[in-house]
Amino acid sequence: MRRYNIAALVVFIFMVGALFALTPRNTQKVQSAFLGMISPFLKTGSGLQQRVVAFHEGLKTLQQLEQDNKTLLVENAQLRTGLSYLRDLEGENNRLRHALEYRERAAFNLVPARIIARDSSTWWNTVRIDRGIDDGVEIDMPVLTEDGLVGKTTAVAGSSSTVVLISDENCKVAATVEGTQEQGIVKGERTSSGLQPQISLIFLSKNANLKPGMRVFSSGAGSVFPAGVSIGVIKEFRKRELDGYATIVPSVDLTTLEDVFVVFGKK
Amino acid sequence: MIFFLIVAVSLFFALVAQQFIGPLPWLHGSRVLLMPIVLFYGALAFPFWAMLILAFLAGFMWDALTVQIAFARDIGTGQTVATNVEISLGWSILLYAALGSLMIGFRPLFQRGRWEVHCLLSGVLTSASVLAEYLMITLRRGDLIFTKEVWWRIGGSGLVAVVLAPFCFFIFNSIAESVGYETRPRKKKEAE
Repeated sequence: MRRYNIAALVVFIFMVGALFALTPRNTQKVQSAFLGMISPFLKTGSGLQQRVVAFHEGLKTLQQLEQDNKTLLVENAQLRTGLSYLRDLEGENNRLRHALEYRERAAFNLVPARIIARDSSTWWNTVRIDRGIDDGVEIDMPVLTEDGLVGKTTAVAGSSSTVVLISDENCKVAATVEGTQEQGIVKGERTSSGLQPQISLIFLSKNANLKPGMRVFSSGAGSVFPAGVSIGVIKEFRKRELDGYATIVPSVDLTTLEDVFVVFGKK
Repeated sequence: MIFFLIVAVSLFFALVAQQFIGPLPWLHGSRVLLMPIVLFYGALAFPFWAMLILAFLAGFMWDALTVQIAFARDIGTGQTVATNVEISLGWSILLYAALGSLMIGFRPLFQRGRWEVHCLLSGVLTSASVLAEYLMITLRRGDLIFTKEVWWRIGGSGLVAVVLAPFCFFIFNSIAESVGYETRPRKKKEAE
């Protein structure tokens, strides 16, 4: 081995050793700095990607347009019919909300954000959003959509942040099951079959009487996630040796997600 | 030197580009990993010391994007502080350096103008990197789970790399020629 190869190897080992010796706080700083450096490229890439998708979607044949028109007319009629029914429901809903003071519980200060990139790694489930320290985003802030919980912020840079999704094994949410006293922890599965991520509810009592279709909400314990945010619905419940275990279908389609809200606390 | 810089910058852009390529539904959600292919080309085209620099860059960037940090709220100040790093920043550097060193073993064949074996090897080593990641996570979190899906995701990324590597190698070889970098020593070229 030539001399400068040995010298390079020594420097290499020293530098890797220095990285290994970083404290979690300094690792966080390095991560944020790199995220800040890469985010302009991610934003530009995201813009380009949107243009390409828009161009691709715009290329429709006359037949497709006719078909679209027919579908939209039918949808329009259905929506008109549904609207009057929904107005009644809205009134009822408002009354019930008022009675339960639900509005107060679910009223958050929300800041809209756009997903600019998705993690390309195989085993981690994160996305990057176009909001960062400049917009007031901090670490461990909940992220959600109108459909339910998405995850929480981890690394935060000037104008972008990384959000770890609830489908990641490392994102754990204290949860409760609607209509029961059951409390558990929602966490992502390391591997899931197919493209749809799987999440599960663990540490339930063995005798929990949970049925498919029951809704799961965040319980608010742990102080990161607010209480009452929808997480998903129970798909299957089974007893394990020490606890009960349920698989959950997430309320939010995490694979097609484009716009989210960062929760800045209560109003 | 110019060509080395081109490859080093390409590592960065490969990392950015792969962020916009979603999982492949027909390959059980396998990912397209472009950066390792560029790195493995670099291991073939450059000497050992240069491969170490590329491995450092690639590993550092990858870890900086993927490393997961646990946070806790300080009761006294109420601030959120980083308490634990799941897999240390820097381990991917070691992994890439090890895989790059394996690739370097096949450099003599590459210098003879043959690179079909290297394209295949790029796939194998890409899969090896995904497998190593999985094992590291398993080591930290427990529960050694090896389902069909796991194997598909490990192997799928490698298969994609095998398909993409020839294009990548061809493009870089063309760039090397245009900037006057000799990926093959002159003696060997003349002997042929």
